[in-house]
Amino acid sequence: MTEAPHTVKSYEEELKNLNSNIIKMGGFCEEALGKAIQAITTRNSDNAESVIQEDEKIDKIETMIEQQVVNLIALRQPMAIDLRESVTALKISSDLERIGDLAKNISKRTLLLNENLPKNLVDALIRVSTNVQKQLKAVLDAYLERSSAVAIKVWESDEQIDDLTNLCMNEVISYLKDNEKNLEDGTHLLFVTKNIERIGDHTTNVAEQVYFLVTGEYLEGDRPKGTEPIVTGEK
Amino acid sequence: MNKIEAKNVNVFYGEKQALFDINMDIQEKQVTALIGPSGCGKSTFLRCLNRMNDVIDICKVEGEIKINDYNINQKGTDVVRLREKIGMVFQKPNPFPKTLYENISYGPEIHGMAQSKDELDQIVEDSLKKAALWNEVKDRLNEPGTGLSGGQQQRLCIARAISVKPEVILMDEPCSALDPIATAQIEELIDELKKEHTIVIVTHSMSQAARVSQQTGFFHLGKLIEVGSTDKIFKNPDQLQTQDYITGRFG
Repeated sequence: MTEAPHTVKSYEEELKNLNSNIIKMGGFCEEALGKAIQAITTRNSDNAESVIQEDEKIDKIETMIEQQVVNLIALRQPMAIDLRESVTALKISSDLERIGDLAKNISKRTLLLNENLPKNLVDALIRVSTNVQKQLKAVLDAYLERSSAVAIKVWESDEQIDDLTNLCMNEVISYLKDNEKNLEDGTHLLFVTKNIERIGDHTTNVAEQVYFLVTGEYLEGDRPKGTEPIVTGEK
Repeated sequence: MNKIEAKNVNVFYGEKQALFDINMDIQEKQVTALIGPSGCGKSTFLRCLNRMNDVIDICKVEGEIKINDYNINQKGTDVVRLREKIGMVFQKPNPFPKTLYENISYGPEIHGMAQSKDELDQIVEDSLKKAALWNEVKDRLNEPGTGLSGGQQQRLCIARAISVKPEVILMDEPCSALDPIATAQIEELIDELKKEHTIVIVTHSMSQAARVSQQTGFFHLGKLIEVGSTDKIFKNPDQLQTQDYITGRFG
């Protein structure tokens, strides 16, 4: 449905503003995730530092979005699509804020790593994170274009991320087993891998919100799941 | 269960057609809100339900309106009896220029609903209690009804409407002349009344429709654009026109 503009222009402006803040926040998260992955795979401390510092920007914009939504509900009493815009903005911003935090956590751990990582481990990290980055970009595009079809696609491919996470976990476990010296770095890498997977989950949450925003319906059924997560590394 | 079924209702004021093929079911003991911009035909439709349009000479109503499966437009319908079953409350409170007591007792008396003064007293008391007005007026039943505040007068009119035990109550913007407190009292009353009565309300307040009704119909230019559960209409209507109207995008 293509809506006509609101008769009250200031209301129209407020909703547009909310929308562009979500897009802006999504952009910050994409950047943070990209930099965090680059930092850990290339041992680039500057990038890691920058992700940690810039997280405040994401937190601030989340607070701003929350205030905007509260004002809209209190002062405009939004209905139908406007209500869905307001409610989903609140939920999406909270998922994006978590994505920012997880990227920051990856960067903090990056700064604590002692050794250069073996190539197979770097490759596994890049495989899963590239996928997650693609999903994040796709879901933000879905939000921008109000595309329920793209939202469904993102939602369905969470499974792939789960599988790649498990492969990456396996690599980390092998790395841990290789040498006792790897214990500290390996532990950080387990968390890093889990963080990337969690970012994938938040991306899927956003996809659910975009679907609701566009259609007014909830995505039904269980979220597609990949192979069971590895707990011990023993098959 | 359907209390009222409107089928292919067309209304004309002289040459001008005011309603086009309205088909709408109204559920028993629920509140149905009719919304739409001024002149969309919602009040015309409301007035079809107890044949109030009969009093307008140039008005012609076609189609079927069944209440309890009886077509009220058929010849030989006793409109006085009909309006006993289907009461009405208007935008502006319009108490009779009589005492509070007489405002309520008038209907039951002319319809022969009370055999004695005691019975009539009881009807007056019950009606005022149901309209949540009893405690405010019980000591001054012999004062004129017109001496009450606007909100009290509207509740008096509701008490008058329910005194003859109607099955359906039609309300045409009953709160538009009231302040928010009096509005909340009427809305609370509507909630209570729906336990025993079917209510159809015309309102310009979107939020009032959302608060009080279970079913909402959106009219535009004499057509019923969409009707459905209030929940659906205000969260995710099927028609773009409905959405544009309720979200304030109507050009």
